[in-house]
Amino acid sequence: MSEGAVRHDQQEKASLPALLAQARYGVVVRPPYYRWNGECFESDRLVGVDSNSIASLAGSIDVVVEGNFVGVVADSLALATDAAKQLKVEWQAAHQAPETALGSHQEASTKPSAKSLDNPRQSYTHSNHAYGWPSRMRWGNHPSWVIADCRDQQLSVWGQTVTPKALKQDLSQLTALDISQIELYSADGKHASNQASGLGRHCGDDAAVDAALMSRAVGGPVAVWLDARYANDVQALGQAQRITLNADIASSGEIARYHYQQANLTGEVAAVGLWLSGRAAIATPSAEALAGEQDTTPFSPYVFRDQYLAARSQSASLSSNATLVGIQQAFARESFLDEVARESDQDPIALRLRHLDDARGIELIESVAKRSEWQRVSIPSANSLPQDLLRGRGFAYSQLPDRNQRVESGVRSAWIADVEVNRVTGDVQLTRLVVGQDAGPDVDTDRLQQTLQARVLGEARPLLGQAPGFDEWGDGSRTLTKSEYSAGLPTTPSSSSPVEEGVNQTVGEDVLTGAELSPGVAVIANALFDATGLRFRQPPFTAKRVRQALEASSTEEAGRPSKLKPPRSTKRRWLAAAAFTTIAGTAAMAWPWKGAIAPVSRPAANLYSAETIERGRLVAAAGDCAACHTTEGGVTNAGGRGFETPFGTLYSTNITPDEATGIGQWSYAAFERAMRHGISRDGSHLYPAFPYTAFAKTSDADLQALYAYLMAQPPVSTEKTANALTFPFNVRSLMAGWNTLYHDATPFQPDPMQSELYNRGAYLAEGLGHCSACHSPRNAMGAEKNGEAYFAGAFVDGWEAPPLNSLSRAPIPWSETSLYDYLRHGESELHGVASGPMAPVVAGLAELPEYDVRAIAHYVAAQMQAPTGNSDAAVADATQRVTSAAVGSTEMEAGERLFEGACAACHVDSGVPTFSRAGTNLALNTNLHSDHPDNVIQSILGGVHAEHIPGIGSMPGFADSFSNTQVADLTTYLRARFAPEKAPWQKVKQRIADIRQPHHNNTHSSP
Amino acid sequence: MMITMTLKLTINGQERELAVPPQTPLLNVLRNDLALNGPKYGCGLGECGACSVLIDGMAARTCVLPVSAAEGHEVTTLDGLSQGGRLDPVQQAFIDAQAAQCGYCLNGMIITIRALLNHNAQPSAQQIRAALEHNLCRCGTHVEILQAAERAVVINAAALQEAPHE
Repeated sequence: MSEGAVRHDQQEKASLPALLAQARYGVVVRPPYYRWNGECFESDRLVGVDSNSIASLAGSIDVVVEGNFVGVVADSLALATDAAKQLKVEWQAAHQAPETALGSHQEASTKPSAKSLDNPRQSYTHSNHAYGWPSRMRWGNHPSWVIADCRDQQLSVWGQTVTPKALKQDLSQLTALDISQIELYSADGKHASNQASGLGRHCGDDAAVDAALMSRAVGGPVAVWLDARYANDVQALGQAQRITLNADIASSGEIARYHYQQANLTGEVAAVGLWLSGRAAIATPSAEALAGEQDTTPFSPYVFRDQYLAARSQSASLSSNATLVGIQQAFARESFLDEVARESDQDPIALRLRHLDDARGIELIESVAKRSEWQRVSIPSANSLPQDLLRGRGFAYSQLPDRNQRVESGVRSAWIADVEVNRVTGDVQLTRLVVGQDAGPDVDTDRLQQTLQARVLGEARPLLGQAPGFDEWGDGSRTLTKSEYSAGLPTTPSSSSPVEEGVNQTVGEDVLTGAELSPGVAVIANALFDATGLRFRQPPFTAKRVRQALEASSTEEAGRPSKLKPPRSTKRRWLAAAAFTTIAGTAAMAWPWKGAIAPVSRPAANLYSAETIERGRLVAAAGDCAACHTTEGGVTNAGGRGFETPFGTLYSTNITPDEATGIGQWSYAAFERAMRHGISRDGSHLYPAFPYTAFAKTSDADLQALYAYLMAQPPVSTEKTANALTFPFNVRSLMAGWNTLYHDATPFQPDPMQSELYNRGAYLAEGLGHCSACHSPRNAMGAEKNGEAYFAGAFVDGWEAPPLNSLSRAPIPWSETSLYDYLRHGESELHGVASGPMAPVVAGLAELPEYDVRAIAHYVAAQMQAPTGNSDAAVADATQRVTSAAVGSTEMEAGERLFEGACAACHVDSGVPTFSRAGTNLALNTNLHSDHPDNVIQSILGGVHAEHIPGIGSMPGFADSFSNTQVADLTTYLRARFAPEKAPWQKVKQRIADIRQPHHNNTHSSP
Repeated sequence: MMITMTLKLTINGQERELAVPPQTPLLNVLRNDLALNGPKYGCGLGECGACSVLIDGMAARTCVLPVSAAEGHEVTTLDGLSQGGRLDPVQQAFIDAQAAQCGYCLNGMIITIRALLNHNAQPSAQQIRAALEHNLCRCGTHVEILQAAERAVVINAAALQEAPHE
């Protein structure tokens, strides 16, 4: 290890991509059962690992076993993943009674307080609730690498963490290294901050511990891919924190007794890898640790006549995160006070004010309430709100003592939030946020709103663009300015990332800065209750959880006449609150999350350079905007073309820069929002017939260029055509819920394990090219299916869009060369011509440079696991098929006669050189070998029309000359003669009748 | 989409520029726009062969061929088959054999045999039958047509000897 010294010197500069080149790849194998039950960690016990089970895999593979931890390290991620899948691991099931154990434990902890409630005086009512906090918030913003290098008494970890202290402590326990020997770096190679931020630990820490464990075992750097698989750890680690509150409320509404009890003050659970390895054992409550347990009194801004506050802390346990503890305590306290107020019919703000003995706090709350018009809760538009949308408003307040524990000088913070909840989908939108704060920095409520939206309500929508090579345009000659792109692997964060501002900021994660943010979680919980009547006592409030809770409550109320009626009284009896007077501190207001974006004048024509506009033209060609936004014979991009969908008819819009009827008044921000989120400039939702679900993957630079190009075109004024959708699909706002369920607005993430050509192809195919819009099956709600169903083939406009993955039924397997021929020239000799809805797609691709069409072919070939070229064997197989089909006898007289009369002139070689002969022999035609007869029937009935592709002829349709019986005879005959090894199609006649319907059913049942 | 485009075609040795929708069948353009009435409209589905022309010396059924497909190729219709006032050997053979009854299919028969001979100057009787298998004749003149075709092989061979480079 002679280079060891050098290596350590350079570590501070090395960025993650550079390290990836030296690292091996690790994948963990978790036990079938593992869980944190609130007090300790339990899991299945490892009995043995059978390394023979992966002996057949080529390449160097190390299996790392420590305690119950199993990991596989290999030279490539693919190999490690395969090995982890194939590795036979034997587990002995834990003697688990986890559910009951957890329940009884919680019962026990709440019992004492419950007993104290048994003998109240009659004039009091009681309130008793418990609040939880998850051990892990999420698995991270988006997939990323975490690398650990554990050598020479030194451990370095590259990745993202918001809880560096806790992570270092875990790593130190794991490796027995001193904290000072452990260094954390962000992905760009900078030292990670030591300050905790955010709402708790996430799975980046678990991945880091996994990587460190494997790195130590193999003696070199190990990279772990942090992705959605780590969501299992979130599930398993469950609840980290439980706070129980109860109170007696006098008939006057005053809280006479207030009792606060917190089980575990630190509230952080160690990483899964550490538990599994067995090295965390020293941290579990031993007799010594229990002796170190002590109760402290958490701070509360309120004063109650009879109050008891206690929080147990375990001195020997994990690090404490003061920010997080503040958020957790405020969440429980402020949620509880809200519940008390609702239960006793009081204004939540009035209730707090009567228990607040702090002039500054009172002044702040009153001013924020006034600024947000707290009283006028019945927002005018609420009456016109669609029935499935619920609106609510919540309040939360907190105050923290300053660094010297002086209460008077601490920051006071009062929050009012408006939310909109979709009853059907559970989608929650934070529509407005007012934050008042009487000390500290100015509050950026916009940023807070976005961060809370992402962190507390559900999935993050990272907006930062990256600058990789996958969105470069041109024929490999790269005429575009190179300086736009940073070198290195595509995971390099863009160099224009925000400058570090002081020590409080960590890198790589959304940080809640600028405000004393502890009321942030409670304010949403309270607003959610106001909207739905449901109390969420543990974050995060993801759409899934909200939806499930709403479903559960509506099942309970099944007896109610109208299910769509909100499950609560909309009238707030406590509205007769005190008047508010002065304004103090700072109060900022954020506007609705999805409001209108102010109209702008059309940008001047010379705003963008010719290069940008040319790039935009190529982007438009790749996205084939004009195909949908132009009517037959109409002006390009002026809109008005109709689309029949299972939900009704939609008309495309005018995307020329006309200010009145086009997009002339759209700012770039409005344009980008439409492209990525499917929201029009005026704030209304667009339907996903406009494939923003795919366009969202487009890079920022490409979107800018597209905007430039569209704005540089001549404006055309048009009449709008109203959509004709059936209820409820005509309610645009329903799309908000659809989006939450099915839309991932994450920009394209290149796969660092793949080549530039592959990533370019993936970028085009998944994004602008929107291939999956047709080639992936959709669910009943019209959303594309993912995973194994991605590219698995689907039915569009009565045509089968064949599978583009390993399910392909082509008689001669597709190759990259064949795919390229097909996409570039509209025809592959070994497969057939582009027809049906694919013909205009190929015509559109003609605009694209050679390199891009090659890239798409390369990417699709990879999905099909197809070879690069057509092997000699494939060509020989093709010849053999053609020869045997030429003499094929089917004994189907009717079909044969029809074929000879109508088809043979073009489809059979008569020895006469014929210009109009079909280029591909039917024995090689993919459609005839498909599982479904649809494309064959379509071709017979309607013919093949590829007139936009130069050099491709066309076939006439026989719908008017053949009866259904004749088409069926012919179809059956074709299958038998040209695909003799395939089973005959079933129910052909029924399918023909269906397809003959003018608006035939698009849905398709498998035969 | 009925968008008219200007297309450049080479027909019977002449360059023609035409403003037509690109997916118009070539037959319609030949007969309606260019008044070349050698090719006939028969079935309209590419089944009978009455509409055949030569494109780059190969047979082509123009009722199913979009005009745009002929761009950049040499189109020869029956009207342009004769050279310098002298009938093509295939035409001459059909006159000699009196192979016409109504005559509607003859354009296709002549063009197909012409294409066959371009490719195979000495076809067997079997090959001639196969070549004409998908050209329909409704009057029942099949025997005369086959005789004409066999005669065409002979005259064509003689013409080739006269002017082997023609």
